[in-house]
Amino acid sequence: MCIASLYFILLDMYPFFFFSFSYSGAKLALDSLEVPVGCVIVEDGKVIASGRNRTNETRNATRHAEMEAIDTLLEQWREKRLSTSEVAEIFSKCNLYVTCEPCIMCAAALSIVGIEEVFYGCANDKFGGCGSILSLHSSSSEALMSGGVPQGKGFKCTGGIMASEAVSLFRNFYEQGNPNAPKPHRPLTHQAIQ
Amino acid sequence: MENWEIVHVPDNPPIPPDQQPTVDVIASFVDPKVANTLVRRLNQIAQLENLRHVKRVKKKFVEGGRTQLSVILCLASEIGNPLESIPHDVQELMNSYQLSPFITKVCKYAALSKEEWEEQCKLWPTSYHPPTYNIDGITGFSEEDSQSVFGFMKYAIQLAKSGDKMVVNAAVIVDPSVKQVITTACDQTCPWYTPANNTTLETYCFEKTEASVSQSQSDGVFSYETLHSNSLPHFPKQLNTGVCCLYPWGWAEQQSDTNSCSWHPLRHAAIVAIESSAARDIHLFPSLGKIQDKYAETEHIHSSSVGSPAKRQKTHSTKVNDEAHLDSNDEGSSSLSVRPYLCTGFDIYLAWEPCIMCAMALVHQRIRRIFFAFPNPNAGALGTVHRLQGERSLNHHYAVFRVLVPEEVLSRDETAAAEYN
Repeated sequence: MCIASLYFILLDMYPFFFFSFSYSGAKLALDSLEVPVGCVIVEDGKVIASGRNRTNETRNATRHAEMEAIDTLLEQWREKRLSTSEVAEIFSKCNLYVTCEPCIMCAAALSIVGIEEVFYGCANDKFGGCGSILSLHSSSSEALMSGGVPQGKGFKCTGGIMASEAVSLFRNFYEQGNPNAPKPHRPLTHQAIQ
Repeated sequence: MENWEIVHVPDNPPIPPDQQPTVDVIASFVDPKVANTLVRRLNQIAQLENLRHVKRVKKKFVEGGRTQLSVILCLASEIGNPLESIPHDVQELMNSYQLSPFITKVCKYAALSKEEWEEQCKLWPTSYHPPTYNIDGITGFSEEDSQSVFGFMKYAIQLAKSGDKMVVNAAVIVDPSVKQVITTACDQTCPWYTPANNTTLETYCFEKTEASVSQSQSDGVFSYETLHSNSLPHFPKQLNTGVCCLYPWGWAEQQSDTNSCSWHPLRHAAIVAIESSAARDIHLFPSLGKIQDKYAETEHIHSSSVGSPAKRQKTHSTKVNDEAHLDSNDEGSSSLSVRPYLCTGFDIYLAWEPCIMCAMALVHQRIRRIFFAFPNPNAGALGTVHRLQGERSLNHHYAVFRVLVPEEVLSRDETAAAEYN
């Protein structure tokens, strides 16, 4: 009984363990004046890649943490000369831990590479692709094949893990201001600290 | 298809104008003399929430040149008898003006097109505001702009066919203000793709950016065409399995050549084009601040005017060239002086409608307009499977257009290829 409950506690702690890595990536992004999002990809309980947002540095707004981590892996596997089917096989055993719900683009990318499961921190009300705006993790999972053509892969998705930490990182970022954002159409209201 | 045509792909699926959803309202005929007073009072006590597009008063010309006015009193309650559940304030107003209410229908949503609006007004007058975001082309293209759109689309289709073995998707990012190609890209997901053409074109584009902004667009496209007309596979009869936006999940089934090192399941044409335009941005504006750019220019002059004595004469001519170069830079800087934020103001031409990953990437990169030629029945995200341009929560919205390409453009290329072989 006691051992069983300890097991469940440990099981519950499992995501938090990997999240600590994701958050250090997000903090690194924040220190580099980037939107603070970080992630790790885990295979068999081992972190095999990490990524953080690099959109300002690269001037490429698609360089989200997830895309960075996926590219790192593909680079590694290319060097090992893995075949497409081998790569697909490994991706299907990988889990992603990310501080913020993957955006629509990243959710689509995760579905394309065929990741097994995604754990995220806070929801993404504006761009979220795993339930907030679109549900790309589940929408296409029923009809996997249509006329012999793969029509998409779903993945399991769990949100809300350490969400308040993720939100406070965003708050820090927007307080320090995004130096690369375009000039707002309306003047920002400078709220006096009372 | 016989002619080129540009069709706007609206944010919402088009509803046949006569099938628009309606709601019931309570209205009454009123004496024109009291209409103003009544409307003012009604706007205070019974605002038409969520029906701001609906006009309060309907005017109808009846026999004898008279006008008949009717006014919306309030929304009709959906439960029970609407005429019995009129708010108290409105009831009082009705009594004092001796109005006799009736129930009528108005359109529930604001019209999205002129056609929808005209149809709505047959029911009850509404107001119509063409799309609030002011993107050129939604209300139509001038002849000159159309020709430019067709030229760039032709170029994108040429690129899509320029691969050795397969038809792929191709992307051309354009600065429409100077009708200039910013960058081009093709799908790079598959092992058999060889990006050789792309590199030369990119160099060409960089040069073009810095040097000849004045070159007319049609000339530019013509030269691109001649560049590529020698490598045209049969199209569009061939199966388009190489187009990764059509089969985003198909990469795992592709036979990969383990000796090849150039496959990547996410390198769709639009993603590669975004990457390339970002690289171009860093190339043209190495530092973020404008002041630092100026500093770099002065340094450039300085270094070029300090030549070794043996090369003095040559240095002199270089200096002249440099000045000319600087002049042209200054001219160019009228459009370049403000570094665009990402792809703000730029258009992208894609042979195929992008998948959701690419469509969202283009939102992130702040593309202004997307033109595509062929719908993507498997995974199209701009009207076919998804309609991303209609997601209001996004922080950026582009306008989407489908370009209908004449059959002869596609078949002519085949003949050209046949002749060449």
